[in-house]
Amino acid sequence: MTFSMKRIYAIFQKDLKDVTKNYFVSSIIILPIIMAFLYSRIGEVTIELHYLIINLALSSVTAFIQCAVIAEEKEKHTLRSLMLSPASLTEILTGKSLVSFILTVVTIVLCAMITGYSPTNISIIAIAIIVSVLFYLALGTILGLLSRTVVEASVIILPVIFLFGFGSMLMALVDQYPILAFVEYLPNIQLVEIAYKVEEGLGFGDIWSHLGILVAWAIVTSILTAFVYKKKEMD
Amino acid sequence: MEKIIEVKNLAKVFGNQTALENVNFNVKKGETFGFLGPSGSGKTTTIKILTAQLQQTSGEAEVFGVPSTSLTNGSYRRRIGVLSDNSGLYQRLSVEENLKLYCDLYDVPKKRMDEVLDLVNLSGETKKVVSKLSKGMLQRVLLARTLLHEPELLFLDEPTSALDPANSKQIHEGLRRLNEKGTTIFLTTHDMSEAETLCDRVAFLNKGKIQLLGEPKALRRQYADGSITIELKDGNIINLPGGTEGADEVYQYMSSNQIVSIHSNEPTLGDIFVDITGRELV
Repeated sequence: MTFSMKRIYAIFQKDLKDVTKNYFVSSIIILPIIMAFLYSRIGEVTIELHYLIINLALSSVTAFIQCAVIAEEKEKHTLRSLMLSPASLTEILTGKSLVSFILTVVTIVLCAMITGYSPTNISIIAIAIIVSVLFYLALGTILGLLSRTVVEASVIILPVIFLFGFGSMLMALVDQYPILAFVEYLPNIQLVEIAYKVEEGLGFGDIWSHLGILVAWAIVTSILTAFVYKKKEMD
Repeated sequence: MEKIIEVKNLAKVFGNQTALENVNFNVKKGETFGFLGPSGSGKTTTIKILTAQLQQTSGEAEVFGVPSTSLTNGSYRRRIGVLSDNSGLYQRLSVEENLKLYCDLYDVPKKRMDEVLDLVNLSGETKKVVSKLSKGMLQRVLLARTLLHEPELLFLDEPTSALDPANSKQIHEGLRRLNEKGTTIFLTTHDMSEAETLCDRVAFLNKGKIQLLGEPKALRRQYADGSITIELKDGNIINLPGGTEGADEVYQYMSSNQIVSIHSNEPTLGDIFVDITGRELV
């Protein structure tokens, strides 16, 4: 397996130029920012609402942009050309994830500034959000690889935006519908749990189980991404 | 001579449809090898197997002496160039930006862009956005990108299908120059004149099977019926059979000083293909 920063940077640079000219994809970052503005007008924003916006940013900006960018590469046959180049799976996927990663970080920071979210322990929250971003990048990549066109990708991603963006709303239904118990283990819910515990003044020792579940999600989806990519490398 | 590609008993089945059956051939180093056949005959499937984009059902396909599946390795990827209908360009980026990406991926100096753009007659078009290019120009940019890293082995799937005769001629000249420098070319086409112009050897593929393989000249000689065409001074054109019968008539016309020209009637590769397969090359 090769790892060339030059190749990763080349793919990143290309994607940055391409995404900034692709208004259909790049305009999605407006969605969580508008939500942040609306909630900031209401008054005091609760942790629940801060994370409704952050989770929406993760599912819409991270997963959607990644999914759309990969799906477009497939649709226009440019992914095949990349696969036939000396760039390895790691280089291609890292290079292709950087733009979504940076746009996500910028969006979340902007949203946090708008809603006035200032976590008690920034390092724990930063780690939890970065692990979450990795999970959503992998999820977006898988869905992008499975889509044939950008239009198809933008439909496939909708359940993801609903489940992970607004999934915390489903928590209210868990008592009534035990079948929804799995929702408690979703990465978006784990992120909210971590945020609550951080605000209670708890440290790494108290949030490790939630962080562990988040890491597990990220690892499983990354392995799945590599598997799907390898399958798609061959017709 | 060293074999760059070696294919033995290759078969590919999609569901209940056989795309390739018992295909055997080899391509020697420095050779331009033409894989000729109509649409759906299995040409692209063969290229996909040889470039590790598709797994064969059975048989062997070796490139550079290793199974073609090893070509997913970056060191082998550097040695091949692939131009197929599966190749694409970034529509929102310029020609230069598209090529620059591949310069970085292959670790090729940027000045190489000028050389390949010159080869495909696109030197003045570097700043043009790809979405504004004509189909023929797109094909030439793709070819330029394929040639950027000076691959040892080129897989070209219908490289001039979207080009006008003038541009096709220029691409042919470029490919001949590359071949003279030692690049091995595996070319699929249904354009018989392209095959006659470029290929050292050709294989006729029909319904997934190789029907005939050999040098274009030798094949034309092999399938020639010995007949000749003579053009007379009065404007008549006469076809004469080979052998003594034709020779006697030619002698008569020559004695009476009526002949303007004499040509041997050799079939084109297209004629031979139709003769063997009963199918037109479309």
